[in-house]
Amino acid sequence: MRRVVITGAGAVSPLGVGVPALVGGVEAGRGATRRMESWDGFKGLRSRVAALAPLENERAIPRRYRRTMGRMSLFAYQAAVEAMAEAGLGSADTASGRMGCAVGSTMGSAISLNRAFEAMIPNRDLSELSSTLFFQCVSHTAAMNVGQALGLGGCVFAPSAACASALQAIGLGFDLVRSGRQDVMLCGGAEEVHATVTGSFDLLYAASTRYNDAPERTPRPFDADRDGLVCGEGSGILVLESLDRARRRGAPILAEVLGFHTCGGGDHVSESNRKAMADCMRGALADAGLDAGRVDAINAHATATLQGDGEEVAAIREVFGGAVPTSSLKGHLTHTLGASAALELIVALAGMRRGRVYPTRNLERVAPECEGILHVRDAPAPVDIRVLAKNSFAFGGICAVLLCGRTEETPAEARTA
Amino acid sequence: MNRDEIERRIHGVFEDAFEIEPERLTPEAKVFEDLGLDSLDIVDLIVALQKQFGVQIREDERVRAIRTLADIADFIETLMQEEDARRSGS
Repeated sequence: MRRVVITGAGAVSPLGVGVPALVGGVEAGRGATRRMESWDGFKGLRSRVAALAPLENERAIPRRYRRTMGRMSLFAYQAAVEAMAEAGLGSADTASGRMGCAVGSTMGSAISLNRAFEAMIPNRDLSELSSTLFFQCVSHTAAMNVGQALGLGGCVFAPSAACASALQAIGLGFDLVRSGRQDVMLCGGAEEVHATVTGSFDLLYAASTRYNDAPERTPRPFDADRDGLVCGEGSGILVLESLDRARRRGAPILAEVLGFHTCGGGDHVSESNRKAMADCMRGALADAGLDAGRVDAINAHATATLQGDGEEVAAIREVFGGAVPTSSLKGHLTHTLGASAALELIVALAGMRRGRVYPTRNLERVAPECEGILHVRDAPAPVDIRVLAKNSFAFGGICAVLLCGRTEETPAEARTA
Repeated sequence: MNRDEIERRIHGVFEDAFEIEPERLTPEAKVFEDLGLDSLDIVDLIVALQKQFGVQIREDERVRAIRTLADIADFIETLMQEEDARRSGS
């Protein structure tokens, strides 16, 4: 098996366009939640908060590629271009057949899907549908569009596992590169905000509803006053590449991927399951050949749902004990669903290089069921991180855990206090 | 609708839907070769023309003979004359 490293990252997030805006926003403690005035006309929708990512300069994408891109694919393409630029990759790489992508999302573009239904359903009439709308609606829209627009001749995959999509994509890329099937993979996820997306969580009493008039105070992972998740949008893309190739090219080595596991819960379609989560954490440790004691920091999935946060804490406590600095970035970024693990991993790895764990925003009073682990609150905690664990969980009992570490080449970035 | 108005609206479709600069929209410009449209674009062109001129052309075999912008204008002009004749005959 080959060693696999991360050599580039790109992001469009609720904190802005580009990785510097993403990491800088978290450094500054910013939250992205806002009230969605345009949702006031939706009956039955109690959650009126979300986090929008800026869509900028999309006309720079040639129409030939842009015409099949819904909002999430535009984000994904822009993030992929940024990631490739950092990694120093170009057309010789994309056309080689040795470079592919794995980009996941919960489903196709929600905005485009609604547009298609609104055009078709009232009069049961297909005649006004655009030929390109279908390509915005398909489940592999983000991966397909990234692959097309970048001319990727290698594997193009679209792992769709709702909120765990991005981490499954990264894990898949890790497997493809370490096994030698591919040399380079662009991996991550994409998502977009729509009232129907938030509505699907609201129906299940999993979306935040009590902070519509104080959006900056939600979501509140692990907090006693948390009341559910807030949906966000954007895309995070990481470049995974074999260590040998990265060294030969002199590419920046942001981190090494050490291990990955994904598994099903097989118990309940929407209720989180601490046993499956713990099994997944142990599976990732076994894959990396590491003991739990080697993990220095945990970037949690914690979305601020009443049930999920407590289950994740119980699993962390069981596998890692109560002394590993842990935080969730949902308080800053909200829950960007299929993009979340990629965006959060980008931030957590920046923290690793800067020797810090970013705090859980909006965590003021730890809920009793979330006690027993070392919460990072209020300010970044200085931690010498050699191994970082990233959790990601999804409806359907899907669990995913990734372990990353530093190599001797990983740069130590400025430790701006 | 006179010929100038038909051409103006067709140009509008090409500028808005296909982002083609107005100076490239000459009567002899070939839709595929010169203006760069492809098979997907043709579907959208038909939808846009149907909407713009209130005509049904999706199933019309004469669409296949269109090569240039002038061909489109000729075709639309013919359709509208046929529509006028149909209305005055009824």
